[in-house]
Amino acid sequence: MGKVIGKVIATEKNPSTIDDFYFWTKQNLILNPFDVVKVSHLQESVSYGIIEEISHITDTANFLADYVSNDFGDVEAEENTHRIGMNYVKAKVIGNTGNVYIPLINNSRVELANESEVAEALGLSNVKNPVTCGYLEMYTGEEDKVTLPVNMDSRFLIGPEGAHLNISGISGLAAKTSYSMFLLRAIQDKCLKSEEEEEDVAFVLFNVKGKDLLALDEPNDFESDEEKKSTFELYEHLGMTPEPFKNVQYYYPYSSNKIGNTYLHKEAFKQQKSQGKAHLYKYSYEDDKDNLDLMFASMDDPQQTMDSIINYIITNQGGFGGLDGWDDFLDEVQKHCKAGAGGDKEITVASWRKFNRIIRKSIYRNDIFGNVHDNNEEVRIGESLKRIKKNEVHVIDIAKLNEDMQGFVFGDAIRTIYDLQLGQFSDEEGIEPPKKIVIFIDELNKYASSDTPKSSPILHQILDIAERGRSLGIVLFSAEQFRSAIHNRVTGNCSTHAYGRTNAIEIAKADYKYVPQVYKNMMTRLKQGEYIIQNPVFRSLLNVKFPKPIYKQYK
Amino acid sequence: MSTIMDIIAHETNGKSYKTYKYTFEGTDTLSFDYDDHQEITWDRYGETVPPDGSISMKTKADEICRNGRPLFTYFLDGSRHTYKVDDIAYKNKVFPVIAGQVGVSCCKRVDKEMQRFDFDRRLAISLPKIASQDDWNKAVFFANLRNKLNEDIRLQRNGISFTDIIPYSTKVDEFERLESKGIAVIQDLMIDREIDMVTRLVAKHRISASNYLMKDGSLEYRVDHLVNDRERRKFQSNFSFVVGVSKSFNPENCKDKKGKNNSNMIADLPLYHRTPVSMYSSPRLAGMKYAVWYLRIRDKKYTVNTFDGILKIEKILVTDEQINKGLDTEEVDLISANIINERNPVCYGADSRWANHLYPVYVTECYAKSKYLSNTMFLNLF
Repeated sequence: MGKVIGKVIATEKNPSTIDDFYFWTKQNLILNPFDVVKVSHLQESVSYGIIEEISHITDTANFLADYVSNDFGDVEAEENTHRIGMNYVKAKVIGNTGNVYIPLINNSRVELANESEVAEALGLSNVKNPVTCGYLEMYTGEEDKVTLPVNMDSRFLIGPEGAHLNISGISGLAAKTSYSMFLLRAIQDKCLKSEEEEEDVAFVLFNVKGKDLLALDEPNDFESDEEKKSTFELYEHLGMTPEPFKNVQYYYPYSSNKIGNTYLHKEAFKQQKSQGKAHLYKYSYEDDKDNLDLMFASMDDPQQTMDSIINYIITNQGGFGGLDGWDDFLDEVQKHCKAGAGGDKEITVASWRKFNRIIRKSIYRNDIFGNVHDNNEEVRIGESLKRIKKNEVHVIDIAKLNEDMQGFVFGDAIRTIYDLQLGQFSDEEGIEPPKKIVIFIDELNKYASSDTPKSSPILHQILDIAERGRSLGIVLFSAEQFRSAIHNRVTGNCSTHAYGRTNAIEIAKADYKYVPQVYKNMMTRLKQGEYIIQNPVFRSLLNVKFPKPIYKQYK
Repeated sequence: MSTIMDIIAHETNGKSYKTYKYTFEGTDTLSFDYDDHQEITWDRYGETVPPDGSISMKTKADEICRNGRPLFTYFLDGSRHTYKVDDIAYKNKVFPVIAGQVGVSCCKRVDKEMQRFDFDRRLAISLPKIASQDDWNKAVFFANLRNKLNEDIRLQRNGISFTDIIPYSTKVDEFERLESKGIAVIQDLMIDREIDMVTRLVAKHRISASNYLMKDGSLEYRVDHLVNDRERRKFQSNFSFVVGVSKSFNPENCKDKKGKNNSNMIADLPLYHRTPVSMYSSPRLAGMKYAVWYLRIRDKKYTVNTFDGILKIEKILVTDEQINKGLDTEEVDLISANIINERNPVCYGADSRWANHLYPVYVTECYAKSKYLSNTMFLNLF
C-alpha cells in the first residue's frame, strides 16, 4: 500500500464522476499537476487519477471575514489559532485496473503510486517499439520521488500508426531545437542498435538559425565534469548511448569564396570539408528550373499569371528550352518584358515584368544559382537527397539565406523527398530510399501558417506530407513559436504534440481549448527542458523533461 | 420492514400515530434561550482585589501575545439536535416522542493548529415515563428496550446504534409543554456528557495551570447527583482549570455591588475592558459558588446589538479560600487577557454570532456538528 495522502470527497456541488474526482489533503503536502494518485475502488480494482487542480481553502466565509479577523484591518494583529485550512485536489480518472468506471466513493483513501503503478496508470508500461521521449519526475521528497523514463511506441511517432510531431514554444525558453534533436537522436540510437529491417530511418534537417545544427556529430563540451557525468548517467538511465549523431552530412549554400554562405566558422567548415562531410549546394538551370514556382510561395496569385509563366518556361516554350544557364534565362525573361514581344499572347507584358522583378531579385548575381561543377564540392540538393540512405543525417543550412530563398531550398528538398518516397526515381541507379525519412524544420510558420497563401506550392507540399506522408514514410518534425499560427490541417495530422513554455495570449486561443486550465497556466511557467506532450498512446498529457544536448552547442 | 417506532410501540404496548416528523432546530425559534440560567443569587464581589469599575486588559493581553503562550489548550463544546419523531398513546393519552443527537467534542490546540482530542456521540430517544412496563425497574426496562432497538437489521446495516432511551416526566404542568420536558432530558444528557468529558480530561492530567480548558456556555450545571461533600469537592476540583464562556446571557442577571441591576455598565463596557468579578450561587450548583465577570472583545461600533462583543465568563470556585475571598484578581486578569487574545480569527460571515464567538470554540462546535447524521437520514429511522 502506498502512502495515504488524503481521502475522496464527493459533495452535491462537486460530485465524483466517471471522469473526475476530488480529494482533500493536508495543506502542507506538496503535490503538482500531472502527479498520479491511486484509489482503491469496487471489486478490488484500483483507479488511477492524474492531478489537474489544487485549491487551498479555509473556513473564512469571505474576504471581509479575514479583514475583521485582523482587528478590522490592523496588520499587526496576531491570532492565537490558525484557521482550519486544507487543500482539495481535482483529479482526472485515467484508468481502472478492473475497468470499473463507476464514480469513486466518498472517503476512499487516496495514495501515492510507486514507479510501476505510475507507468501502468499512464500507459507507459510494456510499450512496444519503445523510443525514449524524455523522463518524468513525480512527487517531492527523497522517499516518495519517482523518476520514470517515458517511452513512446515508435509506430505512433514515426508511423505507420501515427506520424508527425509538432513542437511549440517561445524561442529560447522552450528549447524546441534541443528537444527535437533529443527525439531524433533517440530514434537514430534505436535504429543503430536494432538489427531488424523494420527500423530503417534517415533524417533531413534544416538549420534555420545560427549554427544550431551544424555540429550534430561532435560531442558537447559540458560546462563541468559533473554536468557531463550527470548528463551521461541520465542518457544511460533512459537507455540511450551518450553519443552525438552519427553519419551526418552538411550542406551549405554555395558562395564564391568557397566556404559557404553560412554562419559556421571558416575553421570548422574546413574541418568538416576535410572529413568529407561538408558540401556546397547550388541550383542549376537545367535541373532546377522546374522548381521556380517555389519562389512565388509567399505571394498571392489569384489570376494564376505567375503560374502560367512558370508553366510556359517549364514546358520550354518561347526559347526557354536549351538555355545554358541562369544568365541566359534572365535575358530570355527580359526579352518577354519588352512591349510587343512574341510568345504566348495570353500572358501580358505586365505579368512578365512582374515575374522578372521577382525572379531577378533572387537569381541575379546569386552564387547559389549556377552550374554544378564536377569538383566533389558542389552538389545539387535534389541529387544528394535522392541518394539518402538508412541512418544518414543530412543537415541543410539555410540560416543565412533570405526568407524567399529559404523557402525555395526547403520546398525543393521536401519535393525531392516526396518524389523519392513516391518512387519517382526508382529507375535510376544507386537509389535505395530508406523506409522512413524524418524531416525537421524549425519556424514552420514561415511555410505553413494559417495565413500562408492557399496557392503556395510549399504549403501544398507540406499538406501532402502531413496528410499522406505517414503511408509514404515521410515524417515531419516541425517546430514553431505559436502552434495556433499553424495551418490546422498540419497540426491536425500530427500524432504527437509537444508544448513548451508559451505565453498567456497563446493559451487563450482555440487550439488549447481542450487543455485543462491549470495545465494551460503551467505552459506559461514551464522551465527550459520541460515539455507537456500529447500522444495517442498516453492516457493523459504528460509533463516530461529531457537531458541536456549530447552534441556540440555553439554559444 | 418495521421502523423504530413500530418496535417501540410493540414493546411498550403503545399506539404509534406516525405523525409528521420534524426537527426542533430552525422551527422552534420562539423561545429564546440564553446560555446561562435564571435562578441565580448575587452574593458579593468575587475577586481578591476588586477594581473600581471596569479595567482594561489590553496591555496584559499584548504582553502575553508577545512573550507568552496562550493559556487555553483545550476547548469543549456540547451540542444537541432534537427532533419530534412521533406521538404515542398510552392509556388513551398521547405523548410526544422526542429523539436527539448529542455530540460533545473536545479539541486541542498545538502550535496554533486545532486538533481533535475526543468526541462523544449519543443517539437518544426520550419517551414518557409511562412507557415503561416495569414500574420499579424503569432503567432496566429502557436499557432492554434500547438493546432490542439496536438489534434492528436496518440500524445494524448502517452501523447506527442508539445509546440512550431516557424517560421524561409526564407530570402535568401548566407552564411547560410535554415536548419541552422531552427536550430537557436530552439537554441533561448532553450536560452529563460534558461533565464526563471534563472528568476524563482531568483523569488523564491533561488540564493544568498552564493548559486551561475553555468550555462553551455556562458552567452552571445541574448537579443534584452529588450526594456527599467529598463528591462535591471532587466535582469542584475537576473544574479548577475550566472556564465557561457564554456568548449570550440574560442582562437581568448583571448586578452591581449593591445587588442592583447594572446591565447598562456592561453594555457600555469599553473595548478590552472587564467588569469586576461577582460571586454567585445557584440552586443548580448546590453548596457551590461561582465567579462571573464580563469582557468586551469587539468594538461597539462594529456590532449590531447592545451586548454583541461582550462575553460572560464563569469559573467555579474551588478552594475554601476562593469561596471566602473570591478568585485571585491575578488569575481573573490572566484569563481575561487570554480571552482577549482569542478574539482573532473570527467566524464572521459563517456564523451570525461572530462578535461573541471565539474561533477555537467555533471550530470545536463545527467538529461536533460535522459528526451528526443528516436530519433526513435520522428522521427516516423512525
